[in-house]
Amino acid sequence: MTARKSLLKVILLGDGGVGKSSIMNRYVTNKFDAHLFHTIGVEFLNKTLEVDGNQVTLQIWDTAGQERFRSLRTPFYRGSDCCLLTFSVDDNQSFLNLSNWKKEFIYYADVKEPENFPFVVLGNKVDVTERQVSTEEAQMWCQENGDYPYFETSAKDATNVAVAFEEAVHRALAADDKADHLIPTDTVKLHRKPRSATSCCS
Amino acid sequence: MAELKSPDTRRCRYFFLYDGSKVRGEGDPTRDGICYFYPEETPMDKQDLLCGQLAGVGRCVSELSSSAVRILRLRRCKFAIRMKDDFFWALGCSMEVPTVSVCELLDHLIDLFCFYNGSVRQSYQLNSKETLAAEWARYLSHVLSGPSELHYILQSVRTLDLTNVDPLLLLKAALILQACQRCPLVLAGCVLFRGRVVSTQMPPQLTIKVMVHESETYAKTQRSSGRSTPTSDGGPVSATAVFLTPSELQYLQSAPVDKISSSHSAPEKDAPPKKTRLSRTLSDIPSSESTPSRPASCQSLQRASFSPHTSSSEDSVFSPAPSQGSSADSPNPSPLSPIRRFSYGGNAHEAEGGTPDSLHSGGGGVSQMPSERDGSAFEESLHLSRGAASEMTDCGNAAFRDEKTPAGEGGVCCLKPRGHKAEMRQPPSGSCSFDSLEESPLVSMALYVHRVNSLVLALLVEPCFMGDSASMEEVNHSSLASLNGLEAHLRAISPAAPGAAGPYLFAHYDSVQSTLTTNVSGRPGGASEYLFVRATSLLHSHFFDTETLQEAIIRSAGTAVYGTRSVAQETYFQQHGGSMRNSGIPNQQDSAFSLPSKARHRLLKHGVNLL
Repeated sequence: MTARKSLLKVILLGDGGVGKSSIMNRYVTNKFDAHLFHTIGVEFLNKTLEVDGNQVTLQIWDTAGQERFRSLRTPFYRGSDCCLLTFSVDDNQSFLNLSNWKKEFIYYADVKEPENFPFVVLGNKVDVTERQVSTEEAQMWCQENGDYPYFETSAKDATNVAVAFEEAVHRALAADDKADHLIPTDTVKLHRKPRSATSCCS
Repeated sequence: MAELKSPDTRRCRYFFLYDGSKVRGEGDPTRDGICYFYPEETPMDKQDLLCGQLAGVGRCVSELSSSAVRILRLRRCKFAIRMKDDFFWALGCSMEVPTVSVCELLDHLIDLFCFYNGSVRQSYQLNSKETLAAEWARYLSHVLSGPSELHYILQSVRTLDLTNVDPLLLLKAALILQACQRCPLVLAGCVLFRGRVVSTQMPPQLTIKVMVHESETYAKTQRSSGRSTPTSDGGPVSATAVFLTPSELQYLQSAPVDKISSSHSAPEKDAPPKKTRLSRTLSDIPSSESTPSRPASCQSLQRASFSPHTSSSEDSVFSPAPSQGSSADSPNPSPLSPIRRFSYGGNAHEAEGGTPDSLHSGGGGVSQMPSERDGSAFEESLHLSRGAASEMTDCGNAAFRDEKTPAGEGGVCCLKPRGHKAEMRQPPSGSCSFDSLEESPLVSMALYVHRVNSLVLALLVEPCFMGDSASMEEVNHSSLASLNGLEAHLRAISPAAPGAAGPYLFAHYDSVQSTLTTNVSGRPGGASEYLFVRATSLLHSHFFDTETLQEAIIRSAGTAVYGTRSVAQETYFQQHGGSMRNSGIPNQQDSAFSLPSKARHRLLKHGVNLL
């Protein structure tokens, strides 16, 4: 537990217009702007958290959902510690596209063990009254795809946003710990950096 | 000045500012008037001599000819001159630098000083000579440290290599700027990456000024931290006071309105061209009061805080167009901005034709300085064959001659006021023809700079912005994530391989945006490049001097350089290799005549369209 990462990269993926940028802004600046423009490519914000007494910088990457920005966003998937798959509960198509987003992420992030990678699913815009995706449907999908945690959020009224990110951090740290214990046997570490509790921020 | 990169001596041999008010009586030593002299190690006696002589000659000539002196030649040096009240500036270059460029450079230097320090007179009242000497040295070194000789001749904004950047990223940068403008205290801004422009909302001349501050702080952080650390350091946001000319301010405030072309500008659009040309009267100029969208509270605050400037209006602004005297009481066409002249093509011609050429008579005859004519020798040795498009002949059309005296004719020439050229580079909405009004005070603003590693967001803001934490937060929130992202994107772009230069050299100057595209490396030593640059500078001179000249080929026995220009651009092209078929007289087989079509063909892939 002492060798924890001090920078966690969390990436938000999902169709255009589901509210990825708004979720990020709500979490980091606690603001909501109903008139955001399409995100072009990627953007990110840092937020410093304290987890189990350690300072962790959460780097939240917001991506462009539109297909035409694909080539701009995909190079930035690498190195993610957690992926937040986002859809909008008032848009069934965005829910159906979750599988595609997961596939795209696994492919471009070059995830070695996709079954162990921490995904978190967010159903945004729960403040909207006309839902197209029920909670059960979403939970079912999460269960079938690898038992991902599911949160129903609203960036507009701040419902569940912080909770979802906290869960993402915990998943990411847990996955990191697991990876530390599982030293692959078919590789040889030529140089292992001496890590100690005191050198956590250098 | 240890930091001063030793500039190419061709670019600048001397630069000085002399304050005549310090030397009134017979006994006053000249050196008391010397505010700054470059090179700083010049012996005091020589400084005295140059300052005293040039200032004397300058004053004498301007009084005799009752127009401003722009260029003096002394031995093998060409001095651009500016005079304002008791101040006298001179920038000395080698003879081969085009006169236009030297004059522009000097203007640019002074503009830079005023942008960061306010009025020259007041600066010298408030600060010590030494402090301000450091300022001059700073701007001089910045101006002279351009990447290549071409940038020096064609003063241009350095932009990102656009062929290498996804246009969507440029859109992203533009949107960041627009988002910032939602705060009413933000006038305009630009986004810079590694000292190059990604996107700007400001006219090029203003962008160049802003970039001086940026590139300096960038250099400083590079020096202090060795390498810039990936996470931004403690204070990524800074601010500095700057001073805008009224016309710059007016442009910035009016630009969005004009762009939207809402009902405000509709009547102007419908107005016949004739009316537009009449706008040399004050009443036709849109007054700054009519420009909307400035919170009244801030405006009044601003007015109040400027009172020291407005009170000393006499010396507060340095007018870029030095011929106010003549423009006021003679039908000299100078108030007509070239924008109008160009945009109305033939009409403008007529407007010019009837004007008596006051400058012409003044220029040639007055007080010939002892000058060896070696400067023009080069020009004469090269044949200037004018392209088919231009009907100009050497002997004809005296109407055009009023604009200038031919290069190399006399020791002293009164050049066309520089204001024209400067204005030409700004969109017409700027309507800067009143730059020359003496009583226009500089307006104090703030330059807000937010740095994310190599990416910089620079915003011109109302001075009260910096004390307004709500506005600062708003701007920060609306831009931070996008800046982070844009920086990541731009950093990920691998620098384009320099690529083989190809069998040709070219330089393409966009005079609206002041950008230069070229495959000239700027590395020293290339003999062929050197010739190309010299030919380019000569053609550039000719284009400036001869308004109707559109195409020209300049040639020696071995090679030829083709130049073409329009209202918006200048393009120069030289084909390497291939035997020059040149019999000495114009000949159908002459390979020089195929240059225009080659240029059109070759430059298409560089995004230069000459069709």
